[in-house]
Amino acid sequence: MSAMSFASLALVLLLAPLLPGVATRTRALLTGRRGAPALQLYSDLAKLWRKGVVYSTTTTWIFRLAPVAVLVTALLAACLLPLDGREAVVSFSGDLIAFAALLALGRFALVLAGLDTGSSFEGMGASREVTFAAFAEPALFLCFIALVRASGSLSLAGMLGGPLADAWSSAAPSLLMVGAALFAVLLAESSRVPVDDPATHLELTMIHEVIVLDHSGPDLALILYGSALKLALFGALLVGVLIPRAHLAPAAALALLAAGLVAVAALVGVVESVMARLRLDRVPQFLVAASALAFFAVVLLLW
Amino acid sequence: MTLFFLGLGLILAGGLAAARSGALFRLLVGAGSAVGLVPAFSVLAGGSPRQATIPAHVPGGPWIIGIDLLSAWFLLIVFGAGAASALYGVTYLRRGHEPSRAPLEHLLLSFLLVSLALVVTAAAAVPFLMAWELMAVWAYLLLVYESEKLEVRRAGLLYLVVTHTATLALFALFALWGMAASDLTFGALAAAAPALPGQGAAVLALALFAFGLKAGMVPLHFWLPDAHAAAPSHVSAVFSGIMIKTGIYGLLRVLLLLGGAPAWWGWTVLSLGVVSGVLGVLWALAQHDIKRLLAYHSVENIGIILLGIGAGTLGLAYHYPVVALLGFAGAVLHTLNHALFKSLLFLGAGALVQAASTRDIERLGGLARRMPLTWMAFLAGSVAIVGLPPLNGFVSEWVTFQALLAGGLLDGPIRLQSLAVAGLALIGALALACFAKVCGIVFLGQPRMPDAWSADEPGAGMLAPLYALVLACAVIGLVPDLAVGAAASVGASFTVVGGEPAEHLAAAARVAGWISVAVVLLMALVALGRSRLRARRRPRQPTWRCGYAWAEPRMQYSASSFAAPLIAAYRPVAGVRVERSATSFRSHPADLVVAGGVRPLWRGLRWAVERLRPIQQGRLALYVSYVVATVILLLLVAI
Repeated sequence: MSAMSFASLALVLLLAPLLPGVATRTRALLTGRRGAPALQLYSDLAKLWRKGVVYSTTTTWIFRLAPVAVLVTALLAACLLPLDGREAVVSFSGDLIAFAALLALGRFALVLAGLDTGSSFEGMGASREVTFAAFAEPALFLCFIALVRASGSLSLAGMLGGPLADAWSSAAPSLLMVGAALFAVLLAESSRVPVDDPATHLELTMIHEVIVLDHSGPDLALILYGSALKLALFGALLVGVLIPRAHLAPAAALALLAAGLVAVAALVGVVESVMARLRLDRVPQFLVAASALAFFAVVLLLW
Repeated sequence: MTLFFLGLGLILAGGLAAARSGALFRLLVGAGSAVGLVPAFSVLAGGSPRQATIPAHVPGGPWIIGIDLLSAWFLLIVFGAGAASALYGVTYLRRGHEPSRAPLEHLLLSFLLVSLALVVTAAAAVPFLMAWELMAVWAYLLLVYESEKLEVRRAGLLYLVVTHTATLALFALFALWGMAASDLTFGALAAAAPALPGQGAAVLALALFAFGLKAGMVPLHFWLPDAHAAAPSHVSAVFSGIMIKTGIYGLLRVLLLLGGAPAWWGWTVLSLGVVSGVLGVLWALAQHDIKRLLAYHSVENIGIILLGIGAGTLGLAYHYPVVALLGFAGAVLHTLNHALFKSLLFLGAGALVQAASTRDIERLGGLARRMPLTWMAFLAGSVAIVGLPPLNGFVSEWVTFQALLAGGLLDGPIRLQSLAVAGLALIGALALACFAKVCGIVFLGQPRMPDAWSADEPGAGMLAPLYALVLACAVIGLVPDLAVGAAASVGASFTVVGGEPAEHLAAAARVAGWISVAVVLLMALVALGRSRLRARRRPRQPTWRCGYAWAEPRMQYSASSFAAPLIAAYRPVAGVRVERSATSFRSHPADLVVAGGVRPLWRGLRWAVERLRPIQQGRLALYVSYVVATVILLLLVAI
């Protein structure tokens, strides 16, 4: 726990709503359109926060709790990541499990909120969300095994901290594969193409968008911010693996983090502009491929 | 030990008093459990192990009843979760169909609790086997409460056959082991462990079969869903929460007496753990009968416990005491946690099954409005079983994850055990899907069928035990260092390791507990902040129907549809039959082990037994001559 870890946490919290904007903007530019401004989400959030909120007659307290849970779990998960490349706000042995479990708690609440509305569309989205999560989770943990093995530490701060830079000199292929697998998990967890398309307009084809169909006003703002934060967290995880910053000056580490996050968001936009989303029953194959990649990374590191 | 026996006496007295009054049963069983917990807590808090020796003039040496760390830990489960279920049963059976049979059921339950307590404290083979067999018989009698139903009688018969198969294997186990020992007390058996051929390979294989059968690990789980679904709900809670844990206790006790096991056994247990966990939760996902679904989740959780035991055994086999400590600590902690939240879930399911008169979750919906208190308790149980903060399931899975990952830091074959982490992650994600299904379909949305319209809260007699269990789950989740510290001391009794790793684990658990506390506090804070905006809340509207003019409850997503994508992805192992028509979609679960393994085996067995029929003539004289002939044969062999 240091001033730097708090500063980097604040940076990520501020920067998070920029990332979906950057992705969308990149996609628009590459497909020959002008697109919405990159800062669009900031004004959306500000507007939503001032709006009234409508609740469905079917819903109960769990529907109102879910947005809070999504935000809080993402916030606490952010506290566990060593965002400056050295230290996390909170760190303990086995915190990587807490990181995954916190995000799962947010997902559980959101899915229950979707089912709370009694709408078949939201049920559909909820079903897809838990299905794809069941394929993304093993991939994420295989990445964690590889990082644990490469760094010799059981906490996120240790895994992404100093020893990782040394591991790059001996296990670069594995770490590259971990990076690729993590990027696939990022696409799934933050509901981007090819798993989900945030720009789709048909409820039948949505995943994340359809679960939050009935949320409005400040509740929707909390969820949108929570999702953006989740994208930032996986982005930070990816940057942490690919660009070890433990030996850099604090200011440089922070600048690299910000640049890395924007680059990841731009990469998401590039992916969105060069490929279509997968058919729903193909998505598991995409995530199994990511798991296989991470598995090979683990195998290389274990031998 | 006096307090322990006093507790057992009070529980028995409670059972006998049940015919008089339910209140007296509650009082005596509650008091007996509380008294019985005292020696268990004092041993766990660092007190010296206790022992009582009863001179028995039968072969096998004296009968010893003792409480060491492992026994004390399991006594927590028996007395803690057992009391909650027994107290709940009073109101539950009174509101049931046949309240006149209830006193007998209470009496049998008190017998079962006493037998369970004796199973986990017996320190010699003869009393252990006696308690084990008594436990099996009481459980059978409890199970066939609704014996007018064919499915209940069938489940009971299957259970009886299976449990006796396990007992038979245990007789073989102790006979084999006893041949090397001076008598059958556990002390003598432990002393004889080095003399066993192949590091006790035969004993370990028999133990894995017998105790695995009792615990319900795949592929020996086939009797479990039937038995647990057929029993009254509070008895299901005792079966799933406590009785199958005697299998886990048996495995741990054998390991403790042998002082470890060869690596092949550890790898076998680890693989069986992954298989049980993944298949158990997949089969649960395919179920739409809430009690069968919960029963399959017991198979899953036994898998998670086996992962811990596997990691612990490998730590012992490859001489890494810290891994062994983490593995066994994770296993025993998850055993306790599962007893708490599975009892909670079964008791909650009992309340809703009684209120809605159906176990089919496809017919339910919207019960959160009709039964808000039951719903909150069930939700707490769900969060706990999925392994999410801030409740206790997260804590034990966190320890088990660390045991597996810690293997990955080492060199030598043990590093491969870290791959099981991916299995555990998959189990967790599938469990989340399954409980999202149960909670969402049963409690949220709108009632699908008239059954759910008339549902009502079950009353304080059932809610109080439910919330006692919620409290226990929350305490272990929010202040995990105490439970983790105690589990670590139990885990440390398997290995020679200083106090440092245990303290390290408890310290990390304290920080993990802060995270759980922070989840609760921050959520309250954000919700409070948002509620200040409440003034601008608009009037309620119906759910957005995507442009359609009307919607009715039957248009809601069903449990079959919710689980369909996952089931489709795992079709070869999930074993589900799908019925589709223009207006309906239903999936029917089928257990591949039952269909592909147990039934053919059973048919073969029946064929073989038919061949033996000529020697069964039903004449007494013939049977007496068989007995005489056997005795003569045995005497000849003995000479």
